[in-house]
Amino acid sequence: MGSPGDQPLTINLLFAVGTILFWLGSWFLISAIFRKENRLQNAIGAGLLFFFSSLTPIFQKQLGIPLIWPEMPVELWLSVLCTTFALRYSIQAYLDAESKRIKPILAWFAGAVALLVLSKLNGSFHFNILNGSITLSSATGLYIVAFSIAAIALIAKFGKKGKKVTTHAALILGCVLFGMPFAWLIVTSFKESRDTTSASGLVWIPKVQKTIPYFDKTDPLLAAKYEGQDVITSPIGRTSDGGYIVEIHRPSSLRGISFEGPQTSFREVAKDAPVVQGDGFTGYVIQEKSSGERVVRFLSPQNKKGQEQSFLASELEPVREVGLRFENYSEALEAMPVETHKGLVYLQNTVILVLLSVIGTVLSSSIVAYAFARLRFPGKEWLFKLLLGTMMLPAAVTLMPQFLLFRSLGWIDTLYPLWVPAFFASAFNVFLLRQFFSQIPMELEDAAKIDGAGLFGSFWRVMMPQIKPGIAVISIWTFMGAWNNFMGPLIYINSPENMPLSYALQLFQTERGGETGLMMAFATLTIIPVVALFFFAQKYFIEGVSLSGLGGR
Amino acid sequence: MKTIALAVSFLLASFANAQTISVWGAELSPDTIAGSLSVAHAFEKKHPGVKVRMLGLGAGDMNPQKLLTAIVGGSPPDVVRQSRFTISDWASRGAFIPLDPYLKRDQLDPAAPRPEDYYASAWLECTYRNSVYGIPTEADDRALYWNRGLFQQEASKLRAAGLDPNRPPRTWSEMINYSKVLTIPGKRVGFLPNFGNSWLYLYAFQNNASFMSPDGLTCTLNSPQAVAALEFMKQGYDVAGGYEAANAFQSSFRPNENDPFLTGQVAMKIDGDWSLPGIARYGPNLDFGVAPPPVPDDRYNKVGAFKGEEDKFITWTGGFCYVIPKGAKNAELAWEFIKFASSLEGRLIDNRARATADRVQGRMFLPRIQGLKAANEALLKEFEPADPKFREGLQTHFELMNHSRFRPPTIVGQLLWDEHVKATETVMLGKLEPSQALRLSESAVQRELDRVASKHRYPIVPAGVIEAIALILLVSCSAAWMFVWKRARMTSLAKKEAWGAYLMISPWLIGLLLFTAGPMISSFFMSFTSYDVMSPPRWIGLQNYFELFGPNKPEVTKAFANAAYLAGFGIPLGIVSGLAIAVLLNTGVKGMRIYRTIYYLPAIVPVAASAVLWIWLLSPDPNQGLVSVAWQSTIGAWMNWPIPGWLTAENWAKPSLILMGIWGAGSGMILWLAGLKGVPQSLYEAADIDGASATQIFRKVTLPMLSPILFFNAVMGMIGALQEFDRIYIMAGGGNGPGDSLLVPAKYVFTNAFAYFKFGYASAVAWVIFAVVMVVTILQFRIARQWVHQETSL
Repeated sequence: MGSPGDQPLTINLLFAVGTILFWLGSWFLISAIFRKENRLQNAIGAGLLFFFSSLTPIFQKQLGIPLIWPEMPVELWLSVLCTTFALRYSIQAYLDAESKRIKPILAWFAGAVALLVLSKLNGSFHFNILNGSITLSSATGLYIVAFSIAAIALIAKFGKKGKKVTTHAALILGCVLFGMPFAWLIVTSFKESRDTTSASGLVWIPKVQKTIPYFDKTDPLLAAKYEGQDVITSPIGRTSDGGYIVEIHRPSSLRGISFEGPQTSFREVAKDAPVVQGDGFTGYVIQEKSSGERVVRFLSPQNKKGQEQSFLASELEPVREVGLRFENYSEALEAMPVETHKGLVYLQNTVILVLLSVIGTVLSSSIVAYAFARLRFPGKEWLFKLLLGTMMLPAAVTLMPQFLLFRSLGWIDTLYPLWVPAFFASAFNVFLLRQFFSQIPMELEDAAKIDGAGLFGSFWRVMMPQIKPGIAVISIWTFMGAWNNFMGPLIYINSPENMPLSYALQLFQTERGGETGLMMAFATLTIIPVVALFFFAQKYFIEGVSLSGLGGR
Repeated sequence: MKTIALAVSFLLASFANAQTISVWGAELSPDTIAGSLSVAHAFEKKHPGVKVRMLGLGAGDMNPQKLLTAIVGGSPPDVVRQSRFTISDWASRGAFIPLDPYLKRDQLDPAAPRPEDYYASAWLECTYRNSVYGIPTEADDRALYWNRGLFQQEASKLRAAGLDPNRPPRTWSEMINYSKVLTIPGKRVGFLPNFGNSWLYLYAFQNNASFMSPDGLTCTLNSPQAVAALEFMKQGYDVAGGYEAANAFQSSFRPNENDPFLTGQVAMKIDGDWSLPGIARYGPNLDFGVAPPPVPDDRYNKVGAFKGEEDKFITWTGGFCYVIPKGAKNAELAWEFIKFASSLEGRLIDNRARATADRVQGRMFLPRIQGLKAANEALLKEFEPADPKFREGLQTHFELMNHSRFRPPTIVGQLLWDEHVKATETVMLGKLEPSQALRLSESAVQRELDRVASKHRYPIVPAGVIEAIALILLVSCSAAWMFVWKRARMTSLAKKEAWGAYLMISPWLIGLLLFTAGPMISSFFMSFTSYDVMSPPRWIGLQNYFELFGPNKPEVTKAFANAAYLAGFGIPLGIVSGLAIAVLLNTGVKGMRIYRTIYYLPAIVPVAASAVLWIWLLSPDPNQGLVSVAWQSTIGAWMNWPIPGWLTAENWAKPSLILMGIWGAGSGMILWLAGLKGVPQSLYEAADIDGASATQIFRKVTLPMLSPILFFNAVMGMIGALQEFDRIYIMAGGGNGPGDSLLVPAKYVFTNAFAYFKFGYASAVAWVIFAVVMVVTILQFRIARQWVHQETSL
């Protein structure tokens, strides 16, 4: 921020000139882009103006978009506002050639003068030109876009094309805002933990530590098989027959388990030694002493190459290069409990849950809806009203008794409580499908009856195919509901092998939430299937939202 | 004896070939998992055919919901590693089984735990009403960490104030004096009483305050000793520039390498032994010391109330223990596991595996304090750090275990904790005097104690009452139907159709009875009882409702007010943003489908994923949170306003959720798009001919035509808002947000039902929610008559 009045007047004036030149230049540039006539002249004008404005002080300090804004008391600002309105109305009156509008002009103008006098009386009639600039960082890019939209909106007044451009610009800005969280999610899922806890601003371009493979003779890493899984271990002793006793290091879900085996079952693997640099040298860390010192083997300068020396951690700087840390994904999966097979079981449970819920909902809701739409039976109106009424019932009311019910059935820690109710039709879906059934012409059904189809036959073979869009819609809807279901698993599921993704993700957040990179990798993995499905069935998703939101109209 | 144990284990092994015991609350973070798994693995080796599953599941500590649901649901784990201070609370509900029979049976077994082998504070914390419920494992205690280098740097200033720069403060008054000298406003604080880990408990213990009467029936939070301790804390903050300034300063603290104690932003702190490894990893070169936490001057000088007192210094210890929950399928094996895991051997295996894991990563290993005295000696010998400052620090912590106090075993441990935190905060903020705040908290705790104590006075509801009521209702419904059936004179064909129809709607009818009507009746009935599922319900009449509208009224009102806030701002903002996008898209722009997809995408992200994502987006730290970065570079820069605390600030938590809701405006947008397409083109043409301006057309044509959808969404939005749960549960980490700012009705019901198992009370709240939903819906329909456009009037 600029500070008021602490700069000599000449600098201030120069700054003001520079600012005006810059914005005039921008104006010319925009004209050159959007107006057909005098395009060349406008472009030259813009170039010249930008050049002159760049000679002013602000650009000598840093690259930025110059701004000037006056510092004034409130009354003055209000007065300016009134004047603006007065001007606006007078321009309009001039363009419309109407004399009716003269009153508001006078009123606004009178207000402006009155406020001016008031501020004079209060003695607060001072004003100051402040200067500042929007420095050009990536974050400020956002409001430059916003500003351009405003500018383009102005131009829009001059042509139809402008309106389109404005719309696009506004939509693109919105897309940027809506897309940012996604961008952050993806980028973060590839970040090293160093970048997620950095103290120097949000990191947008992930970097990874450069490493060099290094075979440590004194403290080697050994690859082996443990109960059929590939593991990385480190030796903690030798057996009498020359084998190794080792402790597992990776995958992290097995870390700490020790086992032994003959020497031949182990294969030495390289450590990833981090590359570091210090005062006039680069090298890689081959040993970290428990005292906090690090032993570095030099890579450069040439005359020291291959030599080793100890340094304090503070004397070394990690060498990092732009890149993605894919290990976040594998580590996140490794961190899942062993019995979930790197999280596959979570996915499997979710898929089972979703499939059964969708099948149950579609079958039960459609058959119930058909009866309500097409058949006559005593008590139909009453029952239908009851059905509509249950839509208002908060889940909280039935939550506890349902728990007791499922408990007495011995269904705790199973998936049953989560999908069995789907087979008993839900009010909203019945209501929705009933609308669909009602729109099918009666003749179709009559024809089926003449052909000798029974009640269920005509429902299944004639009516069901007619409401395919409706079924697609409630399928999508149920799919989303089942995929999202969180409170159900939270109450009913206790063991990892029965957990669906939604709950597993929340547990991961409470247990490993500190590791943002892993967290976001897991979150990305849970989002991907839904997004993939969305792209295949986009039409139904969109129909689904519209239909349910329109109350099935 | 060992042979017998071996024989038993052999017998067990041969009995069932693949027995599994599951352990909940295990430490499974990357730094600690090695210890947990190595113990499990070693146990498996000793007991062939046994499989031990180590799981976290959020159990062990503050969040009781999962474990309690599992116990009540009849599928509990076999062993739980549980925070010791919660033991009494759980034991009083009958959630854990007493271990005395096992202890007695195995008293000759050298591997079995013996009380005298443990620190008294650790052992006693696991008992409730003279029964042992847990066997201690890890312990922790608190000590004073002081930055020796900083003391040297400020030596002249300290000397000028008459203080010795070569030693840490020992008494409260010294602490204040050192802090005064070492504090530089905005840059460094000498000491913050509640930074690190001390709470009121530590200072109150040092002043010989007790929180509960010995019989556990009376809460004595508001004792003169505790008041004095609270006054000391207040003074500590005043010296550091006041609580709010301290909090603002604290919000700039960063973790790891930039830990405020390592950077010298905090000169002294009272913290647990767990902070030592952090220093070893991120600032091994720091010149610091670990000393006993300063005590009241009188205690140090052994005068006044402390005359003849043995302990000069006092610390507060806590830690974990292994328990067996009620209904464990494999209690015998669970006990074997506990014996092994808490033994000297188990503790050494745990620490050795962690030491190896640390070595592989090139880190210094520091053992953790154990409840078992022999384990501490062995660990200190085996893993003695070479660096003297770490060695001495560790020794100080270990030695302090002999002078430790623990939180009183009480059935209201959690409530006492919550209330003391609340009292501390109000006093630090200067809202109340210490004695006032403590009195308020004390009476809240006492109320709960009385409630539990008076419970047995109410009659037990005989089994089958609800079933009987349900049966009566069912019979009367059937009778009503019979009546209707008889009155409707039908041809045989019509009868056939009707029976077919009944068959077809039967899924819904059965579902209605099983999952809606039945539960409704029982929930209504339950709202007049006190029912914790583990013991039979007791009829308490309107007590739940009195509680709801009496002492708990502030909480309940807060929950509904929060829901109203979220709905009142969230729904209109969601509608406006969705509609705005839809209007832009409806102008016939090219690439509409692409735009639509991008705007809609956030709406299909699973709730759990988007909640987890937004927790991070809303980080108040401009180095981490995207929203904070955006704020800093726009509004923050223009207005010079500091970054709000978002989810961590009372006033910003709800706006944060609303902001997040706008991100999901895409689903609304789709809806509006469909609505806009449904507006007849002829209306627009007519308006155009009449010379209406764009805004006029929007206000006079578009909006009225959209009003039915608008209405439908307002109603559904309100019903939804009153029931919102998932997102808030995840984002508040299972809690209620700062100052209960994220407490919503559904969460309130859930917590009371599945964390406290007050099914009766939760049912009463649920019915109140139902009533509110009804009233709001009816009101909306009333108001709707005035503004919703009726299709028929066209």
